[in-house]
Amino acid sequence: MLKKIGVYSVIGVAILLIGVFSLRQEKRVDFSTEVKPILNKHCISCHGGVKKNGGFSLLFEEEAFAATESGEPAIRKGDAAHSSFIQRLTEDDPELRMPYNAAPLSDDEIDVLRRWVDEGAEWGSHWAYALPESVPVPKPRFSLGALFGGGGSQFPSNIDYFIKERHGDVGMGFSPEAEKETLLRRLHLDIVGLPPTPDQVGAFLNDTRKDAYEIRVDSLLASPHFGERWASWWLDLARYADSKGYERDGIREIWSYRDWVIKAFNANMPFDQFTIEQLAGDLLPEPTKDQLIATAFHRNTMNNDEGGTDNEEFRVAAVMDRLNTTYQVWLSTTFECVQCHSHTYDPFKFEEYYKSYAFFNNTRDEDTYGEHPKLRLYGAAEQQQIDSIKTWLSQYATSDQLASVSLFLTTLEPKYHAHYCDSLENGALADTKWLAMRNGGTARMKAITLDGKDAFYLNYFGAAPGGRMEIRAGSPTGRMLADFAIPTTQASQVISVPMERLSGVHDLYLTFRNPSISPAQAVAMVEWMAFQPRLAGAEDPQYEEKMADFVELLNHQPPSVPIMVENPPDMARTTHVFERGNWLVHGEAVEPAVPEVLNDFPEGAPVNRLGFAQWIVSKDNPLTARTVVNRLWAQLYGRGLVEPLGDMGTQSTPPIHRELLDWLALEFMHGMDWRVKDLLKEMVMARTYRQSSTIDDRAIEKDPANEYFARGPRFRLGAEQIRDQSLAVSGLLSEKMYGPSVMPHQPEGVWMTVYSGAEWRKSEGEDQYRRGIYTFMKRTSPYPSFVTFDASSREVCVVDRIRTNTPLQALTTLNDPVYLEAAYHLGKRMAQRGKREIDAGITHGYQVAMQRSLAAEKKEALRKLYDEAYAYYSANADALEQFNSEFRTTEPGDASIAAFSVVANALINLDEFLTKS
Amino acid sequence: MDIDKLAKEAQQYQLQSVTRRHFLRECVAGIGGIALGSMLGGLGGCSSSTGRPLDAGIASGSLNPMAPRAPHFAAKAKRVIYLHMAGAPSQLELFDYKPELHKLHNKPCPESILAGKKFAFIRGVPKMLGPQAQFKQHGQSGAWVSDYLPHFSKVVDEVSFLKAMHTEQFNHGPAQLFMHTGHARLGRPSMGSWVTYGLGTENSNLPGFVVLTSGGKTPDAGKSVWGSGFLPSVYQGVQCRSKGDPVLYISDPEGMGRDLKKQTIDAINAVNQEEYNSYGDPETLARIAQYEMAFNMQVAVPEVMDIDSEPEYIHELYGTEPGKESFANNCLLARKLVEQGVRFVQLFDWGWDSHGTSAREAIDVGFRDKCKEIDRPMTALLMDLKQRGLLDETLVVWGGEFGRTPMQENRDDKDMPFLGRDHHTDAYTVWLAGGGIKPGVSYGETDDIGFSGIGGRTSVNDLHATMLHLLGFDHERLIYEFQGRPFRLTDVGGELISAIV
Repeated sequence: MLKKIGVYSVIGVAILLIGVFSLRQEKRVDFSTEVKPILNKHCISCHGGVKKNGGFSLLFEEEAFAATESGEPAIRKGDAAHSSFIQRLTEDDPELRMPYNAAPLSDDEIDVLRRWVDEGAEWGSHWAYALPESVPVPKPRFSLGALFGGGGSQFPSNIDYFIKERHGDVGMGFSPEAEKETLLRRLHLDIVGLPPTPDQVGAFLNDTRKDAYEIRVDSLLASPHFGERWASWWLDLARYADSKGYERDGIREIWSYRDWVIKAFNANMPFDQFTIEQLAGDLLPEPTKDQLIATAFHRNTMNNDEGGTDNEEFRVAAVMDRLNTTYQVWLSTTFECVQCHSHTYDPFKFEEYYKSYAFFNNTRDEDTYGEHPKLRLYGAAEQQQIDSIKTWLSQYATSDQLASVSLFLTTLEPKYHAHYCDSLENGALADTKWLAMRNGGTARMKAITLDGKDAFYLNYFGAAPGGRMEIRAGSPTGRMLADFAIPTTQASQVISVPMERLSGVHDLYLTFRNPSISPAQAVAMVEWMAFQPRLAGAEDPQYEEKMADFVELLNHQPPSVPIMVENPPDMARTTHVFERGNWLVHGEAVEPAVPEVLNDFPEGAPVNRLGFAQWIVSKDNPLTARTVVNRLWAQLYGRGLVEPLGDMGTQSTPPIHRELLDWLALEFMHGMDWRVKDLLKEMVMARTYRQSSTIDDRAIEKDPANEYFARGPRFRLGAEQIRDQSLAVSGLLSEKMYGPSVMPHQPEGVWMTVYSGAEWRKSEGEDQYRRGIYTFMKRTSPYPSFVTFDASSREVCVVDRIRTNTPLQALTTLNDPVYLEAAYHLGKRMAQRGKREIDAGITHGYQVAMQRSLAAEKKEALRKLYDEAYAYYSANADALEQFNSEFRTTEPGDASIAAFSVVANALINLDEFLTKS
Repeated sequence: MDIDKLAKEAQQYQLQSVTRRHFLRECVAGIGGIALGSMLGGLGGCSSSTGRPLDAGIASGSLNPMAPRAPHFAAKAKRVIYLHMAGAPSQLELFDYKPELHKLHNKPCPESILAGKKFAFIRGVPKMLGPQAQFKQHGQSGAWVSDYLPHFSKVVDEVSFLKAMHTEQFNHGPAQLFMHTGHARLGRPSMGSWVTYGLGTENSNLPGFVVLTSGGKTPDAGKSVWGSGFLPSVYQGVQCRSKGDPVLYISDPEGMGRDLKKQTIDAINAVNQEEYNSYGDPETLARIAQYEMAFNMQVAVPEVMDIDSEPEYIHELYGTEPGKESFANNCLLARKLVEQGVRFVQLFDWGWDSHGTSAREAIDVGFRDKCKEIDRPMTALLMDLKQRGLLDETLVVWGGEFGRTPMQENRDDKDMPFLGRDHHTDAYTVWLAGGGIKPGVSYGETDDIGFSGIGGRTSVNDLHATMLHLLGFDHERLIYEFQGRPFRLTDVGGELISAIV
């Protein structure tokens, strides 16, 4: 008997082996989907970018097949039996068996690796680093809509065919379409971030046209509120804030950038242009004001004003942040991992970090207190004055000269900051910010290129009478280039001084004198200096007058916005590798270049930030369009087609919807010419989007996280949306757009930061009720109710807000005066139905808030609350009086108003109110 | 005032009252626990919809992300009180006694010490500054403590010192971030967030991670030092304030009593239950639970934050004055909070940046006053925890974000009006007590002038690794997957300081 079993087993195994063998012949092992995940899971933490134990690394092809410390390569192509890479997986000796000190690989995993080696160990790139040329839509061959049970019609979007195909993998199908009211609310919240009004709901319900839904989609996409809603998303990526961050966290004037983003979304600016203008608008030919403002994207980096900080350290930190943010925002790549060593998992090399860094390392900003360079946003009268100077100047100046005068007027660049000075004798850099030299003190400015620059500009403050300054070349006693009085001033001012002409590169020595002040006092506090050619046209009788106008303009303080300005060649920095990521330890010098694994640098593109931006939005870039598509999808559906949103590479989850992602990415670039509105329209028109979000037991069991999109999205609204929606349904919302950020109600004592005199001053009038995107954003102390609802503090780029569900959120919408006031105004709307019409009032309030009809059981619970509250306020005059003050009523409310307000308070705390479904 | 006598009396009182209170608390927690448990029964997954799975060693599976969880191995400490002196106190006037530095007082600093070093404000060649306090050895352990801390010197046998701590950052903001998040740049979770992420909390009616500030300012690095970074925001520290609502929006609006609030929440939850019945979204059930917790928290938080009801001798012990914002009040609050099951209590006291630019910033004036302010309450805290039997399981940590230089500051290369010391990364002192710390140890040694550690050097990562170890975690395994890579509090460093555990 036993023998028999043995025989059968042998036969069984043989049959099995044949079966497996024949299967194998059909399909070779795929490196990217089968081998790489095993390597990443078990091998790469010791044989990767950081550790290369035994001299063996599996991160890059050339390393994987190179000789290891043993002198032999670990992998012999086509010969698993003699590859130590395979042998070591099954050793008995725990000292030898890999993975070392960890559980052995499963038999299946070993089999995959063995077959891969035997088949020739063909290396492949990860799917994320190659975009297919086209993706066929999986439409059934002999179509007929009847197959889909949709009443014979085809799907409204190709998206649906892809989703439908994946449904098949798990035996699921589309959920029924959501109720019309629910769908309209979903659409409004997604496209403009605000709920529909009761009138809009009524009109939609009664609209019997076939394309009634599409008409709504188009009109919402055309609404100015579209830009506000989608800018909210982008500003998290841009880490936009109204303060500088770090210790002092002073106020930063950069709201023009926020307005630029809103306008760009509203104008449906193609995403490639949107990208290029933000990354390199300043390098475009004759950039417009808007193109310069766009570059504030990368001036949202933090600025450290703390006393005793090294500006270079925080300039480097800002440049690294720009680089990391760029890779994160456009390429879903965790490039910061490569700062200290080659990437642990993804095919990026250590040096490649610094080659990319070199593209960003040549801007004029240097972490200075003044946040230069800033674009000066002159008013109309000032602009007229500028135009008149330029017109006059154009008679004498070359176009290059004109351009440099124009740059100086609009940005005060290029200039040298006080911290450029070294070898200070009898003086210091006050608060590590301003050059404060005492009587007789000297400072050096190293290697200044003077060719043709015979005018010196000095920006300073705090100068007592009698101050003078000398500029000498070569040494403190060298050739005198200028010797001039420093006019007395307390406030900051710019003066222009002629300098003797000298060509070439020189060390300049600045000597400050004022014998009338005390020895400890500084002659002046210098913020910056600039060397420029004198204005042309000295022969013109109007010259002095024009020159005075010019200097006067420099002394204006118009509103401004920090922007990017590239270093002129004589101020260019060389980029070095930082050994182990330490900015103080310079390794070899590198030239700008993009990582090898990605698309080639576009032919003919300039090798600077502009070229880099063009590389990012090249249609050959495998990551940019996929990244945008994935993140827009996540905004609508609560999760991306590939997760996590911050990492499209070897560490992403196996992509269920890769074909759809690729198809959408190709469509977005080629079919839609990068237009975001067109892409969003495609997404919201889809049958997939319009599904009901009801979750039944089957769905919970088969797909709890909705990875297959067999139901509609249902998730909590974002921080700004919760505020906006409450203001909207209470009728308080202001539709005012743009301008400086506002300060709605915030409890006393929330801002307590060190050294900064900044204060939260509640805005007046309608500014209290603006959309959340206009709320003042201070990094070290963000608006409390936003943070509670998971908004970012905008210190670093955030691609994916985590959604939490906490008691502090409940306390906010229950008790924050902003929400109490909204409750009162909604309550008042409910009361307008009449004193005796309690049920009608409640129903009305519910409809205004939820845009759907009120179920009987819910009505009962809300009516009970009304009655309880009414009884309470009727019996309690003191409480009613307190209600009037706490809910900030505009006129004294009676018990009925108070009771309706309590019900309204409940309404804006309902799960269905806080949730998009 | 005799602090020892007071402490004895306190102990008497404690023994009389502990049984009754303990019983009551356990009962309440028990009932609440049952109700919550049944409500959440049968649901799986984490409440955060995009949060990544916890480390395999930590059980998840509850819808409440703050539910208590077991660590990797048996813990010695169950909770932490961290006392941070923001601005960085001088170790040379408190614990690191350097008689040699006396001899060098007012002499120019040798060039060899300055070579290759960077300082925040010192320029050129500064003068050495001898210790400004008188030192003595105290207790059985013979720990050196100066006369700036007369009370504390009596409890040194409870404490272990790390004398050769060092850091990488010499500006306050980055150094505080490094101290609290293990990283000098923004975006990482603070240690309190890591600990509550790992352990949850034992009292769902109070935040699991509470922050108290004194000294009139929040720390230089802002709220990020108690932020949750990439962890779900439920793990961020909740700042409890001395003025206004202790927690923002915790109070009901006036004119809306507790009963009406209860009725409101009942109505909200009744409607939410209906919504759940028709949509079936587990998040709706979680929200119902959060509203119940919020209601309970509204009672529990003001209660625990109210120190008025503490007996007189306790106020004397700590030196507390109800209604004021003070370090003393915060020490007493810290004790109350851990007693109630709060997992991590973080105190920040601002005003320790003794550069010598003014009397307030002088080593021998303002700094000494600050020492007076903390001496008695922090001593009282240790004694009070001990007499209540809480010290064994409560880890108390004291320190700044870096140390101070043995040189006198000469900002802008000129003499300062007062005696001050500049920021210093190479050597500073941190002390720890309770929660499994071996008492009476002094670990690490600095050179003759207290400039650099010459033995037993410990880093910020080492401190974190040790704290996590006492809480039952292998610091290399308490991880969170973010953007495709595992992160941990100790980043890529950290070694257990076994000499003190």
